[in-house]
Amino acid sequence: MTPTSFDGLMPVVIFMGIAVALFWGGHFASVLLAPSKPSHLKSTPYECGEQPVGSAWSMFNVRFYVVGLIFIIFDVESVLMFPVAAIFRELNDMGQGAYALIIFLSFISVLIEGIAYCWKKGDLDWVKSFQVSHKKRS
Amino acid sequence: MFLQVLFLLSATLTIGCGIAVAVTRNLMHSCVFLLGTLIGIAGLYATLGADFVAVTQIMVYVGGIVILMLFAVMLTGGKDFVSRAQNLLGLAPSMGNKWTFALSGLVGVVFILTNVKLLMSVASSLPTKEINNELPSTVNEIGHLLVKDHVLAFELSSVLLLGALVGAAIIARPRKQ
Amino acid sequence: MNQTVVSYLAQYEFFDSLLALFGGNQGLLTFVIFMIFCLAIVGMCATIGGLGTYAERKISADIQARIGPNRVGPYGILQFLADGVKMMTKEDVMPFSADKFLFYLAPMLALVGVFATLAVLPFSTGFTLSDMNVGIFYLIAISSLVGVSVFLGGYASNSKWSMLGGMRGASQIISYEIPVTISILAITLLAGGMGFGTISAHQRGLPTNWFIFHNPFSFIAFFVYFVGALAETNRAPFDLPEAESELVSGYHTEYTGMRFGFFALAEYIEVFVVCGVGAALFLGGSNLPVDLSFDIIPLQLVEVVIFMTKALLLYYVVIWIRWTFPRLRVDQLMSICWKYLTPIAIFNLVGCAIWVVLFNGKSVAQLLMGGGH
Repeated sequence: MTPTSFDGLMPVVIFMGIAVALFWGGHFASVLLAPSKPSHLKSTPYECGEQPVGSAWSMFNVRFYVVGLIFIIFDVESVLMFPVAAIFRELNDMGQGAYALIIFLSFISVLIEGIAYCWKKGDLDWVKSFQVSHKKRS
Repeated sequence: MFLQVLFLLSATLTIGCGIAVAVTRNLMHSCVFLLGTLIGIAGLYATLGADFVAVTQIMVYVGGIVILMLFAVMLTGGKDFVSRAQNLLGLAPSMGNKWTFALSGLVGVVFILTNVKLLMSVASSLPTKEINNELPSTVNEIGHLLVKDHVLAFELSSVLLLGALVGAAIIARPRKQ
Repeated sequence: MNQTVVSYLAQYEFFDSLLALFGGNQGLLTFVIFMIFCLAIVGMCATIGGLGTYAERKISADIQARIGPNRVGPYGILQFLADGVKMMTKEDVMPFSADKFLFYLAPMLALVGVFATLAVLPFSTGFTLSDMNVGIFYLIAISSLVGVSVFLGGYASNSKWSMLGGMRGASQIISYEIPVTISILAITLLAGGMGFGTISAHQRGLPTNWFIFHNPFSFIAFFVYFVGALAETNRAPFDLPEAESELVSGYHTEYTGMRFGFFALAEYIEVFVVCGVGAALFLGGSNLPVDLSFDIIPLQLVEVVIFMTKALLLYYVVIWIRWTFPRLRVDQLMSICWKYLTPIAIFNLVGCAIWVVLFNGKSVAQLLMGGGH
């Protein structure tokens, strides 16, 4: 529990600065060194020699979005669990281990319930949901 | 000294990217500017000494919400995402007429005045605190508060998240025809 | 306990003379010391990233009974410099339909995300740049920028291969972040803190004190972490976002020259960071096998060597795995993450919590040697 000085954040800012500087440095080096003979064919998107048809920016399957949603929920759960996990040992040393364990386990059990539900209903299957919708449509 | 630099950098990033989010015409670009705003806000939290909240901001918003927004934009798909004249300067008809603008302006002025009034009383009563250049650990305090004073909220939040998980799964399920 | 490299150096006498050299301006001195260390670490990591490409080709050649690169320098070891020069002199091609702004931004975000993680990597007890209280949590959070950059790289190219690779990459990175985070949560629970200093202090001494051998659950947690980390860095056998045989090169198909180089550099440094975190969390980090009561700077260098050895051994395993296992299918990828790794990780977390309460946080070795005290 020793306090750190705000200086501890300085490397983060410096590293971010170095990353940006390195990027632009590399960019200008390649501007200076690299040849530049642009042509239309050269700048078509690569499609193994075929003429590209249409834009790549098209509708994507909804399951990517589902993965994102489930991820955020687990993310928030782990954010809530981190401070409790960090003091778990301290609580145990203070003789409140059983209490902390009950709190922690009841929190996790709800999380497990969520996974079990999604598993049972087939939301965790990548292929099955697609096949089901395909069958229904035909 | 470094604290001021960090504050200035974060504030510039937050405000600059925030303005860019509002004025850019491209949906994807405004998502990316939003990322900059959220990182800037994390920096502001860090200058206030709330290290855990700052990292949570990055973890949940930058790592989660922004990616979710990008995916959501990809769900709409199809056309190019450049909206036509719907920026602040173009004022498309769908944005409202002069009455709605006048009304929202009035609401905005009242809102700002109320906030200024509230904040003024708070600011004048605050003791002038010295910047002690120390970043205390907030993690242990948050942990202790979560398992002692706010244990009900902690447990209920997991139920809330369970509800969100089930809801997300149901919404995304292929529909029965 | 020293929290940053500056506060570590401040113990020594030469720090005062340095301070006098800067006219007593401690802020400036702090900045300069940090800057020197940051540049040194970036240089080192860029070299590791470069040598990583060389090692990858050499090891793959070994595994496939070939010779590998052997023209540039002794044993071809300067190959990465030649590659770097080649990257810089390659023409910079951008598809005409690309989103210019995002096309520039994506590799930059990847670099920012990866470099920012280096700030908390515990090279040794003294030379950790910044030992934040939220160390490991910060590292997980800031490395999620890489996921955004993978998606943006795929999107901005406006090429079908890139777009598919970017979508797959982003969804894979975020899915595998869950088991990794939960495994790290188990270690946080065992160590009683998120700072790398706290975690490494708990693993001091012989390998029996390492968290991987702490209890059966943390032993499994290491493998969950490692598999998840492989997937998070898009390494084989989880390299679907850049699967050559189906997606050409995935999200960086359209990237040429320096910008492609930055993506590759970010990826190789990220693999190193992930291996370093694995070494720090599970394999004892930079701790010496014996407990010494004194502390001098050469000892810190020995610690750096110990840490690097562990991290690079894991790096070797990563490359070894790449040339040993076939690539997964996309549905297998998702079912491994959600149906195997995540439940196992949660099981480990519960197991660790119960272990801490039951055995008062003692490790298996302590219990065996303690003989029931």
